[in-house]
Amino acid sequence: MPAETATPLLDPEFMHKLEQLELVSKKVIVGRMKGERKSKRKGTSVEFAEHRQYAPGDDLRHIDWNAFGRLDRLFLKLFLEEEDLHVHTLVDTSLSMGFGEPTKLHYAKQVAAALAFVGLVNSDRIILEAFASRLQAGIPNVRGRSQMWRIVQYLERLQPSGESDLTAAARDFAVKKGGKGVVVVISDFLDKHGYEDALRYLLARKMDVFVIHVLAREEVEPELVGDLRLVDCEDGEEADVTISAPLLKRYNENLDAFVGGLRDYCTKRGITYVFTTNQFPFDKLVLNYLRERGLLK
Amino acid sequence: MPGNIFSRLGSLQFSSPLGWPLWTALAAVPVGIVALYFLKLRRRPVQVASTLLWRKSLEDLHVNSLFQRLRRNQLLFLQLLVAALAMLALAGPQMKGAGGQGRRFVLMVDASASMSAVDDAGGPSRLDRAKEEARKIVREMQGDDLAMVISFAGSARVVSNYTADRRLILGRIDSIAPTQETTSLREALQVAAGLANPSKQIGEGVVATAAQITPKLMIYTDGGFPDVEGFSLGNLEPEVVVIGPPPPPFAAPAEGAAPASAGGDPSNNVAVVALQSRKIEEKADLHQVFGRVKNYRSEPVTTEAQLVRKRLDQPAAEGGLVDAVALEIPARGEQAFQFDVPEPGVAGFEVRLTVKDSLPLDDRAYVVVGDSRKARVLVVSAGDRYLIDAFNTPTITEKADVAIVTPEEAKAEATARDIKGGRYDLVVFDGWRPDEAPESNALYFGVFPPGPAYESPRDVEHPAILDWDVAHPMMQYVRDLSLVYVAKARVIDPLPTGATPLIEAESGALAFVAPRGGFLDAVVAFPLLDGTTPNTTWFRYISFPLFLFNAVQALGGGNGSEDAAPAQPGRPIVVRAETSSPTIQVAAPDGSRPRTIERNPQGAFVDNDAAAAGLYEARWDGGAAPFAVNLFDPRESDLATRGLVPAGAPEGKAESYKIKIGYNPVEGTRVVPDVRRDWWKLLALGALGVLALEWYIYNRRVYV
Repeated sequence: MPAETATPLLDPEFMHKLEQLELVSKKVIVGRMKGERKSKRKGTSVEFAEHRQYAPGDDLRHIDWNAFGRLDRLFLKLFLEEEDLHVHTLVDTSLSMGFGEPTKLHYAKQVAAALAFVGLVNSDRIILEAFASRLQAGIPNVRGRSQMWRIVQYLERLQPSGESDLTAAARDFAVKKGGKGVVVVISDFLDKHGYEDALRYLLARKMDVFVIHVLAREEVEPELVGDLRLVDCEDGEEADVTISAPLLKRYNENLDAFVGGLRDYCTKRGITYVFTTNQFPFDKLVLNYLRERGLLK
Repeated sequence: MPGNIFSRLGSLQFSSPLGWPLWTALAAVPVGIVALYFLKLRRRPVQVASTLLWRKSLEDLHVNSLFQRLRRNQLLFLQLLVAALAMLALAGPQMKGAGGQGRRFVLMVDASASMSAVDDAGGPSRLDRAKEEARKIVREMQGDDLAMVISFAGSARVVSNYTADRRLILGRIDSIAPTQETTSLREALQVAAGLANPSKQIGEGVVATAAQITPKLMIYTDGGFPDVEGFSLGNLEPEVVVIGPPPPPFAAPAEGAAPASAGGDPSNNVAVVALQSRKIEEKADLHQVFGRVKNYRSEPVTTEAQLVRKRLDQPAAEGGLVDAVALEIPARGEQAFQFDVPEPGVAGFEVRLTVKDSLPLDDRAYVVVGDSRKARVLVVSAGDRYLIDAFNTPTITEKADVAIVTPEEAKAEATARDIKGGRYDLVVFDGWRPDEAPESNALYFGVFPPGPAYESPRDVEHPAILDWDVAHPMMQYVRDLSLVYVAKARVIDPLPTGATPLIEAESGALAFVAPRGGFLDAVVAFPLLDGTTPNTTWFRYISFPLFLFNAVQALGGGNGSEDAAPAQPGRPIVVRAETSSPTIQVAAPDGSRPRTIERNPQGAFVDNDAAAAGLYEARWDGGAAPFAVNLFDPRESDLATRGLVPAGAPEGKAESYKIKIGYNPVEGTRVVPDVRRDWWKLLALGALGVLALEWYIYNRRVYV
């Protein structure tokens, strides 16, 4: 397994570009604290929403005295509340993520850091968690640009370990987390148990789910030659292969079917699916690709 | 060899062109294929992020058990099948009676003395090169070709009968050893012609077909033999491969210049061509060793002839230097030398030349000095006083024990048995001859030896003696024959084969010497007495006792070492032994264990195994007789090759350079022309290699 690369997760110039972005949720969401985005809740922003009849106990400060003057009835002026967004980022840290140059995990960390930075800049609430066979405790809840160091520190400490079990991790997440928000899953989805149940758990929380599928180059274009015994790094399963052109062809077909199946599954359920490899420049992914897909604007 | 194993299975024959090392290598091919197949199971472990996608791609993930793998792998079986077919093809299977016919080769390798010459210092000898040339033919033989190998020198020897077993032939060719014999191509050709028709012969394991195939006769020689005239080669197709340096380019003789000397082209050799010893009559115990050295080079040679005394009981020892004489021999000329040796007893001497040349064999010659014993002479005469008196001179009685009998006594059983049994060295028949020739040399006066060659003599009267051969040992010091009158004589015309005339009259030879087996017959063609009156005036002259003395000297062989006829290697040599024992021992010059020679049915001891030049010693109870064997063959010593037409020779002259066999000149070649050569075996071998490679690559999956 390649050593963790020393490349910094984010460089200043890139962070400057990220400042102009913000995370988007297609769903209008309810936040707990006053944030910078419109909320379902009526609040105290400057943006007028509607009037409603006064009921005893309402805050007298919100009575629309002009309307009372014209109509001689008490109306409350309701304003749109601006709220914060809960952004959950789940990073796969199973052993399989340790492959590739740079490793898929490093790539995932960079994407997670970029998204977190965007969220922090926009006063969103960032929840960062890692998972392998189970969901691990991550950074529970940070807000504000000043917390970026915590994010980076946390991410840098992540090391690939353990088998991946998407379903178990997703169930943990669904049980623990309430409320709405955005869930970004960054994983290679190379899980022999399948990914369908996992995604269903996430969807069940009515969250906005984004899937960023990262594969290493050697998984997309294997450069193996000869008679080999392939050893699965996670469960140690062995597969004797004799690399031949027909076998490689079949592998590519299987890969296409795997990626295509995941994409179809996501698309049908309103999950935004983004496929990338560790060779695709991650800044381009964040700055262009994720914007096109609507995660950022 | 697999061929032998398989041939038992039926009429299928294998002409395996491969030796067992190659077969072992071939057998490794299928083993290697299977091994490679199993080697495949050892896989390189590689850690991957997940086997999820690979597992889906693999159908035979868990099909790892051996038999399942084997069952599934049709490719392996196809490979093994192809390998088996290719190997079968290499084995060259042949069904009996089917189609094609092979070629026949008769390989005749000259192993005579001159083939021991080393033309390039440090290089292979001519014989080695001849063997290599012969091996080339054998290596290019195809499955159904047969070859026979004959080596020839003084006699021919069938080294290998017709066979297709190339390894056997190669082994037999290797076994051809150089001899010190002279060259007789005729005998070799007779052997070849007799055996060349393969239908007559059952070879070693191979029964040749009776088909008429023209055998190719390859003669590997340096041409050191006379043309073989009057010999029919039959269906043999001769080709002479001349081993040795090519002749110098033809140079047209200058106008008016003397024709090129008979010596032929120069060659790098200096040889002792004659060596004899003789007692100096005036001085007791002083012997003269004299000989001739011939220079075959085109420039004069300065060398030294060393006289080395050899111990007869230790013939292999180096011996001690006794005398030396410096020689300056003109280009392509001869030079005589002479040593005076005081020697009271019998001793063997070797004469060595210090010069370095291509053929060391003839740089040494051997001679035995000193009387070993008196000659035993029997005179059969009806009472010729002159003759008997001449044999009773002290000079002769010192040399020989002379017994005198009348013809009647000679016919008596005891004497007749002695004559037949080789008891005497020389028998003199005066006017009477026995029905059978004696087992000894013989001198006839007025009668001819028994035998068909002497059946039709012609009577002549008053023949005038014109000439006599003063060079012959029998005629030494004979000077006054021109004064001799002969009344009646009987001459035969022509003389028997190999005869040398001694005294010639205008009507024919009045005296001659003719060989008979290992003996010599000297014949004086006129009787000494006509009834009781003399037929000739020869008695009056000193030449008569001299002639008899010479006859005792030359034919008596008592001092056999000083015999007129030198013994040559490989020829039968009559050993005179004064013993009644049925066997004698002969010690060879190489110091090996003495050989036992049995008395032959005629009662003589004939040594057929004196293969090398040197000093031999015949030993028996109470006596010993040394004898020398020398090459002394100018033709063998002449190393210039014959049979190649020199570059630039005019068309008309070219014919004279060719070796004539039968009536056709055969032009020699130096390079054997390429023979038909099948390539499919190489291709099959290549296919086998490609197959193995394919399997290797298949298992490696060398894909980009």
